Amino acid sequence: MPRIRRRQLGEWIAAYVLLSPYLFVFLVFNVFAIAYALYLSFTYFDLFSPPRWIGLGNYLYLLRDNLFLQKAVPNTLKYVAVVVPVQTVISLLLAFALDQEIKFRRFFRTLFYVPSVTSSVVISLIFLWLFKKTGVINQILGLSIDWLTSPTFALPTIMIVNIWATTGTMMVIFLAGLQDIPVTYYEAAMIDGANRWQMLRHITIPLLRPVIFFVVTMGVIGCFQVFDQIYVMTAGGPLDSTTTIAYLIYKWAFQSTTPFMGRASAVAFVLAGMILIVTVIQRRLIERPAEV
Amino acid sequence: MKRFLLLLAVLALAVTACAPAATPTPAVTREVVVTRVEVTREVEKPKATVRLSGWAANPQETALLESLLYRCSLKNPDVVVKYEPITGDYWAKIKTLVASGEEPDIYYMDIFQFPFFVSKGVLVPLDDYMAKSGVKKEDFIKTLIDAFTGPDGKVYGIPKDFNTLALFYNKDLFAQAGIPEPNENWTWDDLKNAARKLSDPAKGIYGLGVPADPGRFPIFVFQNGGRIMTPDFKDTLLDSPEVIEAAKFYTSFRAEKIGAIPADVGVDWQGTGFGQGKLAMVFEGGWLIPYLREQFPNLKWGATFPPKGPKGRGNLIFTVAYVISKNSKNPEAAWKTIECLTSEESQTVVLSTGFALPSRAKLTEHEYFKTHPESLVIFKGAEFGTPFMWGLRGDVVNEQMGKALERIYLEGQDVEASFKQAAEEVRKALKEQQ
Repeated sequence: MPRIRRRQLGEWIAAYVLLSPYLFVFLVFNVFAIAYALYLSFTYFDLFSPPRWIGLGNYLYLLRDNLFLQKAVPNTLKYVAVVVPVQTVISLLLAFALDQEIKFRRFFRTLFYVPSVTSSVVISLIFLWLFKKTGVINQILGLSIDWLTSPTFALPTIMIVNIWATTGTMMVIFLAGLQDIPVTYYEAAMIDGANRWQMLRHITIPLLRPVIFFVVTMGVIGCFQVFDQIYVMTAGGPLDSTTTIAYLIYKWAFQSTTPFMGRASAVAFVLAGMILIVTVIQRRLIERPAEV
Repeated sequence: MKRFLLLLAVLALAVTACAPAATPTPAVTREVVVTRVEVTREVEKPKATVRLSGWAANPQETALLESLLYRCSLKNPDVVVKYEPITGDYWAKIKTLVASGEEPDIYYMDIFQFPFFVSKGVLVPLDDYMAKSGVKKEDFIKTLIDAFTGPDGKVYGIPKDFNTLALFYNKDLFAQAGIPEPNENWTWDDLKNAARKLSDPAKGIYGLGVPADPGRFPIFVFQNGGRIMTPDFKDTLLDSPEVIEAAKFYTSFRAEKIGAIPADVGVDWQGTGFGQGKLAMVFEGGWLIPYLREQFPNLKWGATFPPKGPKGRGNLIFTVAYVISKNSKNPEAAWKTIECLTSEESQTVVLSTGFALPSRAKLTEHEYFKTHPESLVIFKGAEFGTPFMWGLRGDVVNEQMGKALERIYLEGQDVEASFKQAAEEVRKALKEQQ
């Protein structure tokens, strides 16, 4: 008996020794950093003087700050509410289309995936040109809209860019999910005389459920944290119409002449909390055991 | 053979890199011998190393600074300066460096950011060093050196260069409209009358660029006898009658379709709109000159002082200084470097390259200005200018000023209401400052 225990112990030690490089990095750059940020969110910290404990001061401030309550939160929610469903539906449709035996299938698959491997800054810069008042989009549509300098159109424009950029990734995940569904189910359904819609409704969608959950969750997290397109294309303007929660963190931490690290940390934790809540709700709604 | 030559070149570079500056490569082998002698001799004396950081502007400016540093290395052979330019977000980087005590000995300080740094005591006061080496405050343009003087009356930064705004005008458009070109005696009325005659909205030509830019609008406030902040920077005057009147005048250009913001003419920056002949007049700084020369070499343009307002002249001063960090282990060596970089000799070099306007008052008589009258206009703008600095929450003041103008432009809000709202927001932010 003791011999086995010793051997187990040896395995444990070996495992942790092998894990230690990763664990060290994880502890220092994740656990410690997050814990320290949590501590900072209860302090006033301008980088130059040591943090000063102010309890819930930063969180209470958020409850009365117009920029946070009336701009950053609604903008972020709007963004999530539009981008997540649209990009999910479009990518699902694209996946269905490319799952069929059509010509140039491989070519299209690659084509749709290209935006996903392109730097988001590069994409933003290109769209910045396309959406200029004298740009290509206005010329094609015969319009003269100030896409990015109008408080009405700026956020929708960024939504369009993001949908365009992320649909490819989601499509690839859906494709993998579709190809995972055994053909036998469809064959059985066909013998039973099911039509295409019935097969979609009763076979494909239920079996894709875990994939849909994954795609929607990643989409929600990504959209809640939208930053790069906004940083490059509008810098939160015009009139804060594109200021999101993630952008606000950057703004308060690094764009202020007097840095507000504590306040920015508090926003970061509020954002994390929001993402957690939404993800849990989603899990309840979507991820029920798949029944065929 | 090719590889051998390459190796030789790399070796030569490696050796010369130890010397103050790289020497031109052609006579490679001989140079190596010479510099090696120099290096071995220098080893005897301990050298003080100082690090210097600034934002990496353009390659030409970097080359200029490097050539100045080379001159200084000859003057101060016992000081080695390591130039470490910062790319990307300079202020985020330098603030986190200061927070961790890792900042360079010498770094660029913009007047806009200066109040926070000086209030936190992270800079070295320079008065004693100045006295020791005979550098006088009077040697520099008064508004600049005063700008980098802290609330305690001590000097914390030696201004390296500056910019002010000038009224740039398109000579061809003035000739087409058949009206005389602007001159330094222009008033607000002259500006408006000219804008009216120059504008042709059907052709997409507007008289004056009036962006919702907190780096342009304040000159009208100053020309109207107003201020953006109280002298102690504890309160804002954005809702004072002088500011509101100036804002009404400024925004009236676009309302009457004789002025435009950059988006109206499909550009990101009004300098581009000016170059394309869509804006007949713009208020810009010296940075516009090399841009026009490179991008629009055929444009005929001139520059003069911004017009006089009801209360006379007013202008904005954008300026950058060298400061020494409190954490510096070699403040003497750092000072020697700054002294050399801002010496009359160095500043003359800066002026003649045309990249920046140096801060030494005496240089106003330099012959460069005789051939570059538009640069003299910007240089002299400092005499009646106000530094672009609004205190510890300058970011909020700037942001709210810009938004006040945007609300008027984009949402049609009433001028007075918009600026009152801006003032309220600034006050709220100043109160929240803990």
